[in-house]
Amino acid sequence: MKADKEAQRAGRGIRQSMSGLHTWAGLLLGWVLYAMFLTGTVSYFKDELSQWTRPELARLSQVPDQAAVAQRIADELGNVAAGSSQWSIRLPDGRNNSVYAFWRTRGQGQRAFGEANFDPTTGQKISSRETLGGEFFFRFHFQLHYLPVVWGRWIAGIAAMFMLVAIISGVITHKRIFVDFFTFRWGKGQRSWLEAHNALSVFGLPFHFMITYTGLVTLMALYMPWGENAAFKTPAERQQMTSELSVFIQPGKPSGQSAPLASVEDMVRQAQERWGKGNVGRVTFVHPGDAAARVAVARGEAGRVSMSPQYMEFEGTTGKLLNVRDSVGAAAETRGVLYALHLGRFSDTQTRWLYFLVSFMGTAMVGTGLVMWTVKRRSRLRDPERPHFGFRLVERLNIASIVGLSIAMTAFLWANRLLPHPMEARADWEIHAFFAVWALTLLHALLRPAKAAWIEQFWTAAALLFLLPVLNALTTQRPLWHSLAQGDWVFAGIDVTCWALALLHVVLAVRTARNRSIVQSKRMPQVPVAIASSGAAE
Amino acid sequence: MNALIRQVWATGPLISRIMAAVFGGYALAALASVAVLALPMSKPQAVLTGMLASFAIYAAAVIWVFAARSAWKSWAGLIVAAAVLTPLAWSVG
Amino acid sequence: MIHLLALGLCLAGFAALAFATHRQQRDIFGKALPRVTTYGLRAAGAGVLLLALGILVAAKSWSVGLVIFSGHTTMAAAIVFCALIGWGRLAARTARRRQNDARVRSVTRR
Repeated sequence: MKADKEAQRAGRGIRQSMSGLHTWAGLLLGWVLYAMFLTGTVSYFKDELSQWTRPELARLSQVPDQAAVAQRIADELGNVAAGSSQWSIRLPDGRNNSVYAFWRTRGQGQRAFGEANFDPTTGQKISSRETLGGEFFFRFHFQLHYLPVVWGRWIAGIAAMFMLVAIISGVITHKRIFVDFFTFRWGKGQRSWLEAHNALSVFGLPFHFMITYTGLVTLMALYMPWGENAAFKTPAERQQMTSELSVFIQPGKPSGQSAPLASVEDMVRQAQERWGKGNVGRVTFVHPGDAAARVAVARGEAGRVSMSPQYMEFEGTTGKLLNVRDSVGAAAETRGVLYALHLGRFSDTQTRWLYFLVSFMGTAMVGTGLVMWTVKRRSRLRDPERPHFGFRLVERLNIASIVGLSIAMTAFLWANRLLPHPMEARADWEIHAFFAVWALTLLHALLRPAKAAWIEQFWTAAALLFLLPVLNALTTQRPLWHSLAQGDWVFAGIDVTCWALALLHVVLAVRTARNRSIVQSKRMPQVPVAIASSGAAE
Repeated sequence: MNALIRQVWATGPLISRIMAAVFGGYALAALASVAVLALPMSKPQAVLTGMLASFAIYAAAVIWVFAARSAWKSWAGLIVAAAVLTPLAWSVG
Repeated sequence: MIHLLALGLCLAGFAALAFATHRQQRDIFGKALPRVTTYGLRAAGAGVLLLALGILVAAKSWSVGLVIFSGHTTMAAAIVFCALIGWGRLAARTARRRQNDARVRSVTRR
């Protein structure tokens, strides 16, 4: 009997401590996590967004032949980046209409590199408005902005650890939620925030856990370098591990003799035979133009859930196949799979939409959690009309971090359409616009009463999202009706999704406004009965 | 003044637990990622295994710290785990 | 095409599993269904979900198939869940309206 009571008390004790841990782990970095989640969600379509932000580039109705493109770009890099010790070309697949390439330059130390986008059909550098496009949201997602890259990644990693702890403590607190999943009395009463948070957490739990853990794995060498430092004393030993993680060619010394590259097209064709017509990913050149040149042609991302390196290594000047790498050790393959699960680059369009939708649910989970904290705390306030500073701070930060972010991200796309081109540092100014608008939403949230701020910002976001396709039609040659007529699903898809998101914000605005009136109408039901009875009595 | 001192004293265990979770947990995970090198597998695979598992260990340590009955127990658990891992990590070093 | 099929199967599977719980049976049918039916629904639900997994793994590979399966099960569970809430709200509203009508009728009859 006593043991039972002890066990019960212990159970309740754990439930309580885990509940507290869950609340604080979620709340302390909740705003950072929300931003990471939303920008991460959008990043699943970053290539499409990058196309949308460069409307001058015609859409490619067919994926061009990768072998021919590789040759063209390599030839152009021979002009643009001659003398560079390393080139890297990302060949186009169905989702990009330009080729991204970067190369080492003789700059400060080893970190200097140049980059550009090239037209796959002509091989020339593209001329379109200067913008980071979808890459901005992607990079912000894991390294923020305005910070040294390493700091941003550390903040993202710390936030991810908080998220991991929040997930695990959340599961321990609500163990029964899985058992009772379909039998809970959902949907009754005004506790919709609590129920929404619980529901979103449960549905997407496998995804949320996976995405958080795999996110940590993508940057694990930064967060946990101790094993690497202890095990490898020489650069050669370190390279042993690097070759398990990515395409690796022995750098070696250039011979000093210049010699032209053999046919890159042939090399890529061999890769196509091995992995499929459109399934070549990246082509890397070491010491191109030198007699000691090497070329590595890596497999594309389709058809396998792993980022572990698979590539063919060729002798640069003769095109002879030197080596095929198609497997790595067990731990390296595990890391490859986890990395691939996070990025989802293997996906077809529908799978990519699944990633987007479930990730969106995760974003909503974090948002509803943040709001739920203020709702619960408000009921415990001694004087609800005059809450203490901490509460007010959280309340206002919620508004700016949640709806404010929607407004800021849309403003980024507005800036992309409105800023003149050419313009000095145009890509940077699009980003400044994003942060300036975000700061304005915080100012607005601080100056207005909380409920009004929520509603006004929801409507603002809805308006900006709704008008974005209109702005697009007015400022470019690619309005929605053209895109639909031509079957340009990238442009049409983004325009229509903007409208869907605008509708979502309208619904949120209306529901938030209606919440206020529920409190007032509590007295109403008694009146009609009283009138009816007094009328009948006469 | 007394009330303030009492309040600060009362939060002692909580602060201790937070230290244990944030720093102790990380130290334990780092220690484990080095200790794993003592396993009979090739160095690169061992290093990667240690990195992959480290976050699970960190999370488990944090959960332990807040689930334990007292702050003393939290630290004790971490120290016991560290004591087991340290000789392994040392043998690699 | 395969995505539509997989999603449809997952929807059917989760709907069957939902109907196999007493709470939902009472809310929707007004009474608990016989035990045999409940077990049957549970088996059918699980079977249909496994069928969806099998089809996806056969069409794509094991790894890609598993990932797509987890996506479709999440969406299907969410859709069935929201449908149940919607049903519950609708039922509550009609019940309330019927109650109000009855009350007004009984008052005015006097």
